[in-house]
Amino acid sequence: MISAYKADPRTKLTTVLFFSTISLIYEEIWVLVLILFLSAITALVMRSSLVSILVRLRKLLGVMAAIAIVQSIFIKTGSSIAKIGDITLLTDYGAAKALEFILRLGILIVSAAIIATSSSREIVQGLVQWHCPYEIAFMSSVAIRFLPLFKEEMTDMVTAIQLRGIDLKRVKLKEKIKVYKYILFPIVINSVLKAKELSSAMVVRGFRAYPQRTSYMVLKMNYIDYLIIASLSAVFIIIIVSYL
Amino acid sequence: MNAVEVRNLCFKYRNSQEKILDNVNLSVMEGETIALLGGSGSGKTTFCNCLCGLIPNVYSGEFSGEVELFGENINNMNIAKIVTKAGMIFQNPSTQLFSPTIEDELAFGPENLCVDRKEIARRMDNVLKTIDMEDYRFENPNNLSGGQQQLIAMASVLMLDPKILICDEIMSWVDQNGKNIIRNLLLKLKEEKRTIIIVDHDLENVKISDRVVQVRDGKFY
Repeated sequence: MISAYKADPRTKLTTVLFFSTISLIYEEIWVLVLILFLSAITALVMRSSLVSILVRLRKLLGVMAAIAIVQSIFIKTGSSIAKIGDITLLTDYGAAKALEFILRLGILIVSAAIIATSSSREIVQGLVQWHCPYEIAFMSSVAIRFLPLFKEEMTDMVTAIQLRGIDLKRVKLKEKIKVYKYILFPIVINSVLKAKELSSAMVVRGFRAYPQRTSYMVLKMNYIDYLIIASLSAVFIIIIVSYL
Repeated sequence: MNAVEVRNLCFKYRNSQEKILDNVNLSVMEGETIALLGGSGSGKTTFCNCLCGLIPNVYSGEFSGEVELFGENINNMNIAKIVTKAGMIFQNPSTQLFSPTIEDELAFGPENLCVDRKEIARRMDNVLKTIDMEDYRFENPNNLSGGQQQLIAMASVLMLDPKILICDEIMSWVDQNGKNIIRNLLLKLKEEKRTIIIVDHDLENVKISDRVVQVRDGKFY
């Protein structure tokens, strides 16, 4: 039964809310490591392609590490663990804060991986069945749907610029900023035009014709979903009560 | 009764100096396939937008004249009524498809009109059979070719069972093979006696029409 179990999107949303909220409550490194570990196990149990997501986000991981290092350098509280002369470069407190930041972001990424195991339509339906207004749930799913198009547009523009003889890898930073300024303007215009086309396509298919709408997809939770949601809610209440 | 009756239609976009539609008159009989042929900026798309209620409801500007669908003035019809009378398919298939699966995409329109689940399932089976894409039901529309995407866009409009189908340059983004598939589907719909308005700038794409109307500088000839 459990091996054939496919979690309801609402169960996934509850799990994600649980992990991301408690990661903000706790500051202890070992607790954050434990939350990250538990969320990763959950992601794998829910058949998330965690490794491929991490591979795709490898550039972001570098940015995360850079932010953490910069953040730790600017924190002067705590005892020094690295210094040049009298200038403290890194303190133990700063290093702990940087690690905290990386762990929290890690938990958020793993949570996103859990959500990604459901299609955007399933997530929208889960939110709608939680009485979230359809328009708001739909808007978020469309935004996610159009992110790749935005990226595609950006790649096309960069290629067009490069075909005109500008090698972005070799130009100076000042010039690069100037080029990106030229690229961004048509991208914004094209995005607005695409959004307009999308809204027209939605109108001619009766979007918001009535205050209510039916749903071809209907989600049904089974007893495992109820059990997971009830357990997570109970643990969450205990955490909040003990924290207060 | 005519499917479409347009009388003295004029339209000027906001911030524009000239009228994009200038005293247009047109009658389309029920079951007729008519082609509107004209170059870019001649007013074809604006005319289509007037027929399906996007003008003046979504795009604002100076609007005058009368547009009637099956004898009823479009100004007196709500969105739910308009979309079941006139369905419009646009040029770019990628901006018309926004759902993760074809099934979700097809269900979107009828769901908005509060159509019962069983009826949605029945329509979906029929429409997928018509476009010969039953095996693609759970596919992501992004993984399809341009021609197939346009077929899905057409199918999603057909799910509303509109009496009039307005095709606004629907073959301009697809290759020759895609054009042939779309043309065959239009022929099939023509045989079902559906009223079809094909808008294009290429005479080759409108060969299946019963009548061709030339559009130039906002006027119909």
